[in-house]
Amino acid sequence: MADFSWNTQSALEKALVPGRHGVAGTQAGVTLEEVRDISLVQVMARRGRAAETAKAAKKLFGIEPPRAPGAAVARNATLIWSGPDQFIVFSARQADGQFAKVSKAFAGIASLSDQSDGRCLIRIGGPRARQALAKFCSLDLDDKAFPLGAAATTSIDHTAMNIWREADGTDGHAVFNMLVFTSFADSLWHMILDSSLEYGVQASSAHAA
Amino acid sequence: MRIACPFCGERENGEFTYLGDASPKRPNFAVDGGESPERVEDAFHDYVYLRDNLAGVMREYWYHGGGCRSWLVAERNTVTHEFVSVTAAPGAGAALAARAGE
Ligand SMILES: [Zn+2]
Repeated sequence: MADFSWNTQSALEKALVPGRHGVAGTQAGVTLEEVRDISLVQVMARRGRAAETAKAAKKLFGIEPPRAPGAAVARNATLIWSGPDQFIVFSARQADGQFAKVSKAFAGIASLSDQSDGRCLIRIGGPRARQALAKFCSLDLDDKAFPLGAAATTSIDHTAMNIWREADGTDGHAVFNMLVFTSFADSLWHMILDSSLEYGVQASSAHAA
Repeated sequence: MRIACPFCGERENGEFTYLGDASPKRPNFAVDGGESPERVEDAFHDYVYLRDNLAGVMREYWYHGGGCRSWLVAERNTVTHEFVSVTAAPGAGAALAARAGE
């Protein structure tokens, strides 16, 4: 019998301490939330098969994947542009796993890889989120340049990040979804938290819905 | 300095890596085509090692590794650093086939 077994746990198991951090005040300027139990499938159209890949996506999700940087919200998934002729299928993880179903729909026309445990999803919101983001992200995240449905692949702290905007928070402020590599998540969390401390931070984790 | 990726839009140059001159074409000799070994060797020596040192607009390969991970061809003025144009390199994305020698 094996001496130990591998456990599934969040990459932020140690780093994320739920509750208030930094400057105290009535309202936190920044909310940080790790979204757990996510499913991510990277879809890359094979050479000359981009149109068929878009068609297969339309059939499976009811919407076409974005042709330019952007995030398209379907009923059960969000399709996030991640490069020319490629996108990420983001959804809440189901017990039976979505990968088999998705890969069947793209068989022969696109190459897929399951990134569900390879990436960590951190949501940043609150009235001062943009000020905190400006310290480590070089994109213009103003409402005019980065409206609802905008997405980008960029780098923070020398590390790749997919960022996109879905619906605003219940507080009316913009929410930015940041997808980062699991292996860098611990370090990036500390960097993001440090960037946000002066505005007051409310940290939490949630299950993908 | 900012570079306008045709896929991502304008980004800081730290997201890009410079490869070099996009003009040299890989020599394409037919197998047993009767070329002398000296000629083949000379052509490959040119292709691998010899570069022009242009003062002016130059076609260059750039890689958007900090973004969409696409190879790009940029026309850049080596004197002023002005980017005249940035387009997708052949083979970027799934739409276009890469041409021989690119
Ligand atoms: Zn790009």
